[in-house]
Order: sequence, then structure tokens, then C-alpha cells
Amino acid sequence: MRIGAFIPELLRHLFKKPATVDYPFKKLSPPEGFRGTPYLHPETCIVCRACERDCPAEAIEIVELSAAEKRFRLTIHNDRCIHCAQCVDSCPTDAMRMDDKYEIAAFSRWDLKAAWEYVRAVVKPKAPAPAPAAPAPSANPPSDNG
Amino acid sequence: MAALKPLLYVFVYPGLLFLFAYGTFCEWFDRKVYARLQNRMGPTHTGRWGLLQPVADFVKLMAKEDVVPEKADKGLFTALPVVGLAVVATAMLLVPVWHVSPTASGFNSFSGDIIVLLYLLSLPTLIFFLAGWSSTNLFSTVGGTRVLTMLFGYEVPLFLAVLSPALLAGSWRLAEIAAFYQARPLLLLVNLPAFAISLVCVQAKLERTPFDIPHAETEIVGGTFTEFSGKKLAFFRLMTDIELVVSSGLLATVFLGGFPGGVGWGFVQFILKTLFIIFLLSLMRAATSRIRVDQVVSFAWRFLAPAAVGQLLLVILLKGFMP
Amino acid sequence: MKVQIPIGPQHPALKEPIGLRMTVEGEVIHDADLRLGYNHRGVEKVAEGRSYIQNLYLTERICGICSHSHSTTFAQGAEILFEIVPPKRGQFLRYLVSELERVHSHLLWLGVAGHEAGFDSFFMYVWRDREIVMDILEMISGNRVHYAINTIGGVRRDIDEAQRTKILDLLAVLRARTSFYLNLGTTEPSFVGRLAGVGYLSKEDAMSLCAVGPTARASNVPRDVRKDDPYGIYDEVPFEVCTADTCDVLGRTVVRIKEVLQSYDIMEYLLRNLPAGPVAVKAPRRPKPGEIVSRYEAPRGENIHYIKSNGTDKPERLKVRAPTLGNYAATIAMLKKGFIADIPLIFAAIDPCICCAERSVELVDSRSGRPSVVRWSELRRMAGRRAARDSKKRNVEWPL
Repeated sequence: MRIGAFIPELLRHLFKKPATVDYPFKKLSPPEGFRGTPYLHPETCIVCRACERDCPAEAIEIVELSAAEKRFRLTIHNDRCIHCAQCVDSCPTDAMRMDDKYEIAAFSRWDLKAAWEYVRAVVKPKAPAPAPAAPAPSANPPSDNG
Repeated sequence: MAALKPLLYVFVYPGLLFLFAYGTFCEWFDRKVYARLQNRMGPTHTGRWGLLQPVADFVKLMAKEDVVPEKADKGLFTALPVVGLAVVATAMLLVPVWHVSPTASGFNSFSGDIIVLLYLLSLPTLIFFLAGWSSTNLFSTVGGTRVLTMLFGYEVPLFLAVLSPALLAGSWRLAEIAAFYQARPLLLLVNLPAFAISLVCVQAKLERTPFDIPHAETEIVGGTFTEFSGKKLAFFRLMTDIELVVSSGLLATVFLGGFPGGVGWGFVQFILKTLFIIFLLSLMRAATSRIRVDQVVSFAWRFLAPAAVGQLLLVILLKGFMP
Repeated sequence: MKVQIPIGPQHPALKEPIGLRMTVEGEVIHDADLRLGYNHRGVEKVAEGRSYIQNLYLTERICGICSHSHSTTFAQGAEILFEIVPPKRGQFLRYLVSELERVHSHLLWLGVAGHEAGFDSFFMYVWRDREIVMDILEMISGNRVHYAINTIGGVRRDIDEAQRTKILDLLAVLRARTSFYLNLGTTEPSFVGRLAGVGYLSKEDAMSLCAVGPTARASNVPRDVRKDDPYGIYDEVPFEVCTADTCDVLGRTVVRIKEVLQSYDIMEYLLRNLPAGPVAVKAPRRPKPGEIVSRYEAPRGENIHYIKSNGTDKPERLKVRAPTLGNYAATIAMLKKGFIADIPLIFAAIDPCICCAERSVELVDSRSGRPSVVRWSELRRMAGRRAARDSKKRNVEWPL
């Protein structure tokens, strides 16, 4: 028992810089490999539907628009997404990637849908080894709110 | 002019206007120091360095919906915050700031005003109890009974501790006590134990952290204030702020030699000394955890009260040997 | 005069909804009653409709604090059903994250205990230093809370040499801070006065009421799955099971801090002896039919998953027994004869994770207190009738 056992530690911090960050004005940057929001790189998507099948939240939806043109629409329902990056792991051609955004709230769940319309790519799938980590993502993934 | 002076005292300085400004400033100071001790930022964005945060809180609460419980006594429930605010603001009139000379007595300085001040500071406790009791909520009732239980613990040591310097000075008038110690500053050292005891007791009176038992959030939700909202809660919060100013003013007068030096220097001394006491109270708040209500009573009677009696004995002996 | 005090389902002391009915006389508790089911989410039923790989992420979301525990328990069981063994490096990383999670959970608990006792400075400092663990976890896995590092057959991410040395450096900082908190938590008089002797649970009671985790260990029952039934790499890692014989909340605090110190030892062993090689093996999609019980020592105690496979890519049944459920009976025993002021501390001392333990929901008539079984459609009809009756609330508008 020691009365005021905490006081030296408290006083030591009185004129120190606070440990907290003045959040909306100053921001911390997420570390490398942070799992932000998934986005599609449509040039390499071969529509194998592995991401759709493995997504635990059923947040990925692939619709065939035209069988003749091999046109597809992939929608990521970010309102359901749980940011587990399983789609990135499942993708055999490295078409699914994660960005590092963390301020992803929106006023309506319909603002959170991201859709890509594209023609199926003809890319040879890589060896069954898991895809390497995604390269640094572009600032703005192409999206139109379909 | 003579008739205007008391009105000036009541409304401007050291009355309501000054008390509101200084009370909110003290709350800001307390919050900022508490946050800094915890390596946090504290209020930051309302006004420069967050200075206006307590004012903003007050304004926000004044604008909020005011709910009175169906089964509560409406009159009592509404009157209590106003009466409480009036009581602590009245108590401030008795703190001898620059307007009181040690010789002349007036409506705010008379023999025995230290006792009146202590009693005015005891009234808020009773008001808190009534507030808890009259809101008929289970948590408020428990909070109200805790307020009273605590009162039995800290009130006697506080009175003994604050009265021992008065005994040494041989006066029951705050201004005279302050003048006595200004003349003999070394005697202040004799009262150091009493200063420590009364700091602890004032902390209990203000219901701050080791003694925030009546409104312990994790145990009984809002405690006494569970049912209070809007303007009433704003008044109660302002009342606590002013009580903080008055109690630290009392302690500064009695234990730190008062505020001599006329208008300017006296005012600066008032600010510095009260802020010093508030800093000590904040440090105590940061360094301890909340204790149980039975532990308050046993702690007060096992340690504080005997220490206060010891201090009293010391003062009496010293007075016997003094010329 | 006996009064019933409702603590919960909404109360500042509770982080999640649970109903505690306290019968008190003055400040002393005479009887306690727990009501569960406010936070039932039907996780087990959902699991039956998901594939094994999807269920990993579902089980991870059973709990927010011990997310890795649930997903590891599930992965351990699934790997036996799939008849695969994760490679050594994968196992080391998996249990490295386990121990990091234990540290973060215990530090979180320590802060919460400080807050429940009204010791907010302690709370702030502990949580500030907990950020170090959170940063390590974010660095390894890419997220602070749901690490999603497990996959069936190993882990999903590897660490490199720079990360390894960085973690070792940060662990040294954490060790110093934790020793400071151990010292502080057992010397600050007002804090010790609040914790010592509160929530007494004798060794016999802890045994007979099947307490688990630090709650049992603080009552001097050395019960730890990592030692009793070693899984993964725990049979080769040297560590001690920490116990205390004070049987109170102070003992539970001390046990947790000591366990954190043990975890640093385990992590340092794992990092210094990290083998080279792959971190995962590829798993098939369908396991053999069969059933398995998987045990795991979560920060809160023993965590059990029962998985039944019928040969398809989805489990036929998943049963989860979260550690909090094992401690409820002991909580009632601890609460009796305590003070109202001690309710949050005693309840927090089992480190309750309420929504992990919600496995069922019971409909109780609020007036008669009688339980009943009602069909979903009937429940909806009842809600409709009630809304129609309560016309005042139906047309209520937000004042602003």
C-alpha cells in the first residue's frame, strides 16, 4: 500500500504531448496491408465467380448482361461487406484488390454499392498458389453507382 | 453609490456574473488538467483551447427538453436547482475578496461568517439528497441516501479542520483570519495537516472522484441526477462549478492567507490560489479510484476525524505557549 | 425493506444488454437473477447455411474482443475434419496472434475494471498502452479487431524480418508497462480497497459451479486448456498457469496481469523460434463426414466448438460454448451478500462477453413471468396488434 502511488506517473505526463490524436483534423495513416474496401480491376476478371462463392457476407454479385458479348456486371455491396479480404485471396487472377480507405460511412446504403460493367477478360489463371498481396491501390477505383 | 454597491456585489462581482464566468472557467481548468494528467487533450475546439466548452454545455442543456417525472413532487423538483444555485452564490458573498477590509464589518463580513459560510456549503448536500429523494427513481433514491451517508462521514472533520486555523487566529471572521496569517505567514505551516484534511473533505463535499459515490455512473446510472434534465440539470452543474469556486476560495482564505493587496493584486491572488487548490483537487481526482460509501464513513472517522482533533489539540497547545 | 433493482438490459455498467435483477436490502444484495437472450443473433443457424471458409469469418464475429479465439477454435476443428495439418510456421503465427489477442483482451479488461471502479486515469493509461498491441495486430493482419488471419490449413499472411524485430521491440515496452500496472494495481490504496475481498468465490464453489478461465484460476483452480489438453504448439512452449488464492476481484486482476506477462514470454519464444516454410496448406472444399469437438483457451476461459460434418461443403451443425456462459453460475454466487457498489466490479470481473454466450432466446410474459413458445408469425401478429393499440406512439414525430 502506498498512498498516491499513481501521482508521479500522472505529473510526469502533465506537460507531455497527449497520446490521443485530434482525429477529424489530424489523421493517422493505416499500416501497409490494411484491409480497406475491395474494388475490382476489371481488365483481369475472368468471371470465375470464386469471390461471389466465397464471400462470407454475400456482398459480391455477378450478373450476366449479355451472353453473346460476354458482358458482366459485378456489384460490390459495401453495405454488407465485412472487409475480410477473402475475395482477394480467392481471386485467381489478382483482379480483386483492397484499398486503404477507412472513412467509408455513407448516409444511405445505396451510396455504398459499387458496380463495374465489363467484358470478360481472357487471362490465364495463375498457379493455384494464393495470390500475392495487392499492389498499392489507385486513389480512386473506377466505379459508377449502378 | 452606497446603495448601488451591494447590488454590484450581488450581480457583477463577486456575484452571479463573475461566478458564472469564473465557475465555468474553473470547470474548464479542472477538465483540462484532469485530461492532461491522463495524457489526453481535454476540451479543444470550443473557443480558444476549448475555454468555452463548459459554457457551450450549459447553453446546450438550457435548450434541452425538460422532463419532470410523473410521480415526483413538481414544486420541490423544480425549486431545488434554483435554490441550490442561490445558496452557493450567496456563500460566495462571504468569501473576503478585495471588497472586504479586515476591520470594518458589513453585510458580507461579520464575526462568525466562517460558520455561516460552512453551513451554506452544507446546504447543497441537503439539496442533493432532496433532489434524489423527490425524483422517486430507484437509482436517485439510492444516490440520495448515499449523499446523506457521506455527509455523516466528512462534515465533522471538515468543520474541525477549517475551524482550527480560526482558533489559532482567535477570530470567527474570515477577513480577520486572513489578515492574521498575512501578518504571520510562518504560522500557516502549523495548519498544513488541517489543509490536507479539508482538501479531502472538500473533495467529498463536491462529490468528485474518490467520493463521486452518489452519482457513480457504473453503479447507479446518474445517481441523484438521474431524472434531472434540461435547465434543471444545467443549474445543478453550474451550482457544482460555483461550489468548487467557493470551497476553494474558503480554503485559500483560511489556509493560504487570503487575498491581500487591493483590487488588482488581490484579484490575481484569488485566481492563483483558487486555481492552485483546484489543481490539487484535480490531482486527487486523477490519482484515486472511487471507494465504497461504507469505506468513506470508516475512513473519515478512523483517520480524518482523529487527525482533525489532533490538529485542534496542536493549535490549542500552540496558542497556550504563544504570547 | 427489500427492493428489486434492475441492472440492465440498458445500464452504464454493462457494455452489452443483459438483465440483472438484484434484490437488495439497503446496500446489500440478497438475491440475484440473470436474464439472458437480449442479444441473440442466431449464429449457429446461420453457420449451417455457410461453407467452411465462410464460417471462419462468421465465427470470428461471434465476439468482438476474442474474435481470433472463435475462428481458431473453428479452424482447429475443421482442420481435423479436413484431415490436414497446418505447417509449423502457420501454427506459430496463428498462436502468436492468439497470445497478442490475450494481451489485448486482458489489458482491455484491466482498463474496464479501472473504469468500473471509478479509476478513470488507470483506464486511460492502460488503454493507451493497449494501442501498442492493437498496432501490432493491425500490422500483422491488416485490421485492429477482426484480424481474419486464420484460414483452414494455416494463416493467410506471413510476417517478414522487419516486422518480427519490431514486434520484439514493442513487446519489451509492453512488458515494462504491464509490470508497472501490476505494481500500481496492487498498491494504490483506494483501488485495492475496492477490489480486495469483493466477489468471493471459494475453490469448492469454483469447481462445483464449473467456473472457467481467470475466474477459476483466481480461486486457485489451475484450469487452463493450454496445459490440460495442449492444442497446436502449446505442448512445446514453456509457460506457467497463473493462479491466485485470494478468490476475489483483486485475485482476478492479478491473475490476468500475470497471464499477460506469461503471454509476452510465449510470444518471445514463438518469435525467436519462428521456423521457415509456408504458412498454409491448401484445403479441399469438402471434409469427410464426422464430428469433432475443439477446445481452446480464450482470454476469458475455455471455448468449445462442436462441428458435425455430413460430407457437404457446409457443416450440418455448429455448437458454440463461449466461456462467459460457463461463468454465469459463478457470478450469481459471487454477487450474493455483496454491495450495490460492487455489482459492476463483480460482474465485470468475469469479463463478460454477453453476445458470445447468447445461444437461445426465451419469451417471458412481462406480467406473469411465465415462459412460452410462440411461432414467428404469431409474434409478428402480436407486435402488429400492439402497435395498432398504442396510437399515441404510432404517430410520434421527432421534435426537431
